[in-house]
Amino acid sequence: MSATETVLDLHDIQGNIVFGYGRWGYPVSRYLFFKINDKQQGMAFVEALIPLVTSSAPLDSQINEGANKVTTNLAFTYAGLRELGLPDDSMRSFPEDFRMGMKARKDILGDDGPSSPENWDPIWQNNYDVHMFMSINARSEENLIERYEQVLVLLQDAGDGAELLSGHKSQTGEELSQYQSGNAIMLNGKLTANEHFHYADGIGNPVFKGQGRNKADTVGNGKPTRSSPDTQDGWEALETGEFILGHRDESSEYPIAPNPRLLSYNGSFMVYRKLHQNVGKFNDYLQKTSKYYGEDGLSDDEKQETLKAKFAGRWSNGAPLASYPDYASAMKFGEHWEQATHTLYHDPEASTQQKEAARKIYQDLKTKRSGFNYANDSKGASCPLGAHTRRTNPRGSLEFDNKGAFDTPGAMVNRRRILRRGLPYGDSSDRSDDDGEHGTIFMVINASIERQFEFVQQQWINYGNDFKLSNEKDALLGNHELDQGGNPDGKTVINSNKTLGQPTFMCSGMPRFVETRGGDYFFIPSLTALRMIAAGIIDPT
Amino acid sequence: MGNRFGNAYGLTVLVPIKQGTANNRSFDKIIRDQLQRWPKHSGSPFALVPNTYLARAFLLQDVFYQGAPAVEEHLKNKYLVVTSNFFGDLDEYLHGMWEAISDALKTVLKHCYGFDQVVSAADFVLYIKKCKINNSLFFNGSNDRPLPEQLKALYVKQAFIHFAYLSQHFRYQGESGAINLQKSFKRFVALIDIHNLKGNSWPVAAVKVPTDIETTIKATIVTYQESIK
Repeated sequence: MSATETVLDLHDIQGNIVFGYGRWGYPVSRYLFFKINDKQQGMAFVEALIPLVTSSAPLDSQINEGANKVTTNLAFTYAGLRELGLPDDSMRSFPEDFRMGMKARKDILGDDGPSSPENWDPIWQNNYDVHMFMSINARSEENLIERYEQVLVLLQDAGDGAELLSGHKSQTGEELSQYQSGNAIMLNGKLTANEHFHYADGIGNPVFKGQGRNKADTVGNGKPTRSSPDTQDGWEALETGEFILGHRDESSEYPIAPNPRLLSYNGSFMVYRKLHQNVGKFNDYLQKTSKYYGEDGLSDDEKQETLKAKFAGRWSNGAPLASYPDYASAMKFGEHWEQATHTLYHDPEASTQQKEAARKIYQDLKTKRSGFNYANDSKGASCPLGAHTRRTNPRGSLEFDNKGAFDTPGAMVNRRRILRRGLPYGDSSDRSDDDGEHGTIFMVINASIERQFEFVQQQWINYGNDFKLSNEKDALLGNHELDQGGNPDGKTVINSNKTLGQPTFMCSGMPRFVETRGGDYFFIPSLTALRMIAAGIIDPT
Repeated sequence: MGNRFGNAYGLTVLVPIKQGTANNRSFDKIIRDQLQRWPKHSGSPFALVPNTYLARAFLLQDVFYQGAPAVEEHLKNKYLVVTSNFFGDLDEYLHGMWEAISDALKTVLKHCYGFDQVVSAADFVLYIKKCKINNSLFFNGSNDRPLPEQLKALYVKQAFIHFAYLSQHFRYQGESGAINLQKSFKRFVALIDIHNLKGNSWPVAAVKVPTDIETTIKATIVTYQESIK
């Protein structure tokens, strides 16, 4: 370890900042929202919960009750911190985005029409009711229920001082639930990393200094250098301060954070969004539109899969278009990936040599899956300039063909990275259904909601100028509008690919595939700050 | 000179407003009221002035602080500020403005100093030039061509996007697709009539894509029924 290496006190940082639990073997979750009615009782409730809170230390090494089976994390809205009695000077020192909350930022986020707050789940309808957020992630349904009931007992002890809010729309949409479920999707009896449009999700997540990840994990997930993107020299871990308050960030400053330092140090900000997915509209649009798209000789289904990949920047199986521009090579990637992971993790009869060989293939495929950029694709021939993953993580491509335009290729990107957390919710086995409850519980962790999450949402999802795409929106997540006659009016351009003989293809009349159904902005305190909030000893003077 | 950038001119005018009142309202309040009632977009008087890229009018009541350390300062007068970026020569532009919207100008400018001397286009040009201030920096974001050419270009661009979108499927019709595409394109070229600036074009100051562009372009595309005749 060198003297300059970042060392974080992982025992002081809440675990959801470092771990995307879903990917770490905790595929079931419940999200709970509480209202604090009485300051003293509320503080006592928080104090009682602290022993359950999971930190960022390795999950099997934590003394907290059963972190190897179930995790628990807490966060607060601005109204919640006020109810818990934080001093005025501290309250005033929070950044404006957090103080306003998500609903009041709807114009920035593009939450209009069907996404507008009056269409959100009932729990979000009463302003300032949601005070505290709790996430429970578990290895099994049984572990999950056990922890949930443990929390309910502690809540009872708090009397009327704290209440668990109801008002999440449940699967049928008729009853309201006291928690929001989030579960990895099962397909053909197997757990998947898919979301409801059936893309493999959560592949790229930033890696930052002190996170405890090895160098190989930075490939494709850190910040780009001038070296080749499929090597470890091609990437560096991002500065900690982009994701955790009180640490140096990418501009060599400490992020804007509330006072006193003990309140903010090792904390972060979180965005919670319930995003409904119109599965029926999505499949219908793809089917209708892909008829006139794709390499000659592909079947209708294959053309549909090709257009679907062009929207996302990755094929359904996760293969990036930048490295796998054509259908056949992408499918081959998927087969090899399946074989290698099967041998490695699911085949009890595989020999040590077979496993060793599979591990090498797996590592190689993993590098190919993440270790790429768009340097040889500045016109979007392989991966369209407006594809979802290219927009949200441009990987240094904003220099376009002016190599060296910025000090580092990621200069315009490194301060816009976000940690993505969350899981899908609901069931979409009826692939023509729009109205049922199915979508993604989408959470973001970042040091500045405005500079990171809101920027990505406003400029990169709902606008296109940075990619030379004028006002074109992200095909998948954009808040596509209606035209003057009330018809869907979303548009996107799939750039031409001369090698594959594919001319530029225009998609139009695109409906809104994803709609917001609720959410808010939260502050995730460190374990230290959590204890101080519970004890009422935050002192900004 | 900071007023010119290529063929574009950046005009900034500060017209001093009379002090005093009429019907218990000071003249600047009357002007503000009038400006706020001006129609917007294509209906705006400025939209009728030939070769205007972008124009705006606002009231400058006073300034309070300037520079650091802050020193309190006040203007001697209230001003009507008019700025315009336009194509071509200043005299010609102002003549065109007088010709197009002198009635609208008179109702506003009659509350300003010295305007009672203005009776002709030549007087107006002289009056505005007296009120003009020189820019120290002017950047023109437009493409340096006369307005009718720019509007035509916008129209052709929009029309062509519709054409390209509506003819994508010909690619899958083999040889007959190529014939149909060519046939459609000939009709398209005839419709847009590219050298005729007075013909089909983008409406001045339209902020929304005119829907009839798509409808007329659609009619140029060879339909399935037509192609199997």
